[in-house]
Amino acid sequence: MTLEILKAMIKEEWRLHTSLFGSRMFALFPLLIGISTFTISLFLPHMTKVMTIGQMLQSAHYLFIFFGVSIGAFGLFGREVMNRRFGQASLIAYSSRSLPISERIIFLNFFIKDILFYILLWILPITLGFILATPFISIDTISVLFACATLMLSFLIGLSLVFFLSTIYVHSSKLLIGLLLVTMISMTILTRHLTIDMNTLLLPYSMFYQPSLKKIILSLLLIIVPSSLSLIFLKVDYPEKKKQYKNSLTGLSNKLRFSTYAHYVAKDFLDLKRSEGGLGKIIFSFLFPVGLTWIFLHIFLELIPSIKAIMIFAIFLGIVSSSIYNMLTAFDTFNPYMFLPVKVSTVIKSKLMSYALINILSLVILTFATISMNQLTYFIPALCSFTTISLYSLSMTIYFAGLHPTTLMYNSKIFSQYVTAVAPLLFVFTILSILNPLTMLASPVLLILAIYVLRKSYRKWDKWKPLSI
Amino acid sequence: MTSVIEINNLTKKFGDLKAVDNVSFSIKKGELFGLLGPNGSGKTTMIKMLTGQIKPTEGTAKILEVDVLQNPIKVRELVGIIPEQETPPSFLTAEEYLEFVADIRKLENIKEKCDEWFKLLDFEDQRNALCKDLSRGTRQKLMVAQAFLHEPHLAYIDEPLINLDPIIQRTLKDFLLGYIKKGNTVFFSTHVLEIAEEICTQIGILDKGKLLHQGAIQELKKRKEHLEEFFIKLVKEG
Repeated sequence: MTLEILKAMIKEEWRLHTSLFGSRMFALFPLLIGISTFTISLFLPHMTKVMTIGQMLQSAHYLFIFFGVSIGAFGLFGREVMNRRFGQASLIAYSSRSLPISERIIFLNFFIKDILFYILLWILPITLGFILATPFISIDTISVLFACATLMLSFLIGLSLVFFLSTIYVHSSKLLIGLLLVTMISMTILTRHLTIDMNTLLLPYSMFYQPSLKKIILSLLLIIVPSSLSLIFLKVDYPEKKKQYKNSLTGLSNKLRFSTYAHYVAKDFLDLKRSEGGLGKIIFSFLFPVGLTWIFLHIFLELIPSIKAIMIFAIFLGIVSSSIYNMLTAFDTFNPYMFLPVKVSTVIKSKLMSYALINILSLVILTFATISMNQLTYFIPALCSFTTISLYSLSMTIYFAGLHPTTLMYNSKIFSQYVTAVAPLLFVFTILSILNPLTMLASPVLLILAIYVLRKSYRKWDKWKPLSI
Repeated sequence: MTSVIEINNLTKKFGDLKAVDNVSFSIKKGELFGLLGPNGSGKTTMIKMLTGQIKPTEGTAKILEVDVLQNPIKVRELVGIIPEQETPPSFLTAEEYLEFVADIRKLENIKEKCDEWFKLLDFEDQRNALCKDLSRGTRQKLMVAQAFLHEPHLAYIDEPLINLDPIIQRTLKDFLLGYIKKGNTVFFSTHVLEIAEEICTQIGILDKGKLLHQGAIQELKKRKEHLEEFFIKLVKEG
């Protein structure tokens, strides 16, 4: 029964995407990821001048954990997935109301289906691209295969831990804060007073060099236990009591009167506040990955002291902050506006305003990180780099995907265009930030291009036949 | 009398399927026009084209003298639309949603007007409930209120009474009859023939995208012909 539901859900997900932009465009997506990884892998021998293979492998493990962390907040979406995202549609996730299947079973299948999709669309193509490149870069294929397995474990550990933390958050935010504090204190004691190397805590990575049954079991436990606990304690029920809210739109809009889109922005904030998980979405989709990046960079860049950590952090922050737009558009389609005198560009502009306001948080984080890393000299170049990357990537996201980035980015054509537009910039920024951080002072010149792209995007998306998803 | 809606050779193709096939007609001011047709006959597509939500493949349409192809936003500014399926944004309350729509339509001091709608359609107790928690019927009431908030001269209603209880159905029918008496026009689509027979002044029958008939409901009554019999005969004959 469960397997049948899973199979049906996979078919449904496939058809959902292929009906939007054709089966070929969707099927080519993993191929594109594989080819990109293959191409990047070919350059690995040249990169050894900057980093050793060991350091590259370590950063790859961090990246895979980061990827798992950034998509793992299933706990927040338990009810929402069941209730809102699919509530109006006749999808299988909705069947628990009309068929004798429990909501938990439906969600379990939904969870497995989503993980399988991420593995098939991202993780597997990345690892295959890497494996296929090994004969050309004189790296032992067996080691690469083993590395792929440990990378997969890193991804699943990241995902599972955040699933668990987000489930705790849904039950009690205080409990989560307490747990995080205890973890942070324990980590500090472990790393400073007991002089334990943080890398030994990165189990899959340490397993690569010193494989042992104990480490394999521990890694699997780190995946299975948090995920199982999360599935047991996940909130998927529908609250019986319907809440009543006094009108907050007026007050909030009045505070935002400086913006032309006050009501839209106020609506975005109420959406975030009142939806399942509420502000937890910002914590798990933004603050948590950013915090983790900061910790990883701190550990990692100690090995390469010549690199200014704040400059690399600013690049990461720019990429992650541009994804705030994805969060703002994820649950707000254009459909409710289609019968009102509203242009698509008006909604996009209002999302940009909301994005700008939430990004005040990014500025605070960047300032805090600069102070704590004691790299104040590089604050302005880091700020320039962060702002340019964030706005440039966002302008490209909007140009290629409009109000539907989370869906349209799985169109291989759109994704390859986006990567072609953004990846070279990230590469150049990273190299320049390492070689001479002060060159980043000139980066805001690119904002002119970003504004031009945004203006073109407005015209593009205002044309007839707005995409209705 | 002036034509409020004037369409010529309007066609909409979705791939090989002709959802609306070369339809022409006009509707005069003060009419309550019912577009009737079986499921999938092209009624909703027609409304979406006439409100600038989707672009016709061929043909022209003028709504309140505005070319819908040239200026779809202007058309949506002038008219009120109650869509068949769309629901209001989930995390606003009913009252906040009306305020949100009023802001889009640049209306001021709408509190009294909102109060009137909450009272007329009897959902005062739901004004502070989130839209996602409203029943289908209450959501439909809210969609009715948003469509008439700016007092448009033309309203499009797609399957207007389908989720409403008999008391509210009666209220809404009376409201629509009063609304056209003031010189306004209503274009509504339905497959519930009893409603059309009861309140429409004009009807159009659409099947497989083709307009099979347009005329005054009074003509049928004069001929002592029932709308149901007429409709079934026409659709079966194709």
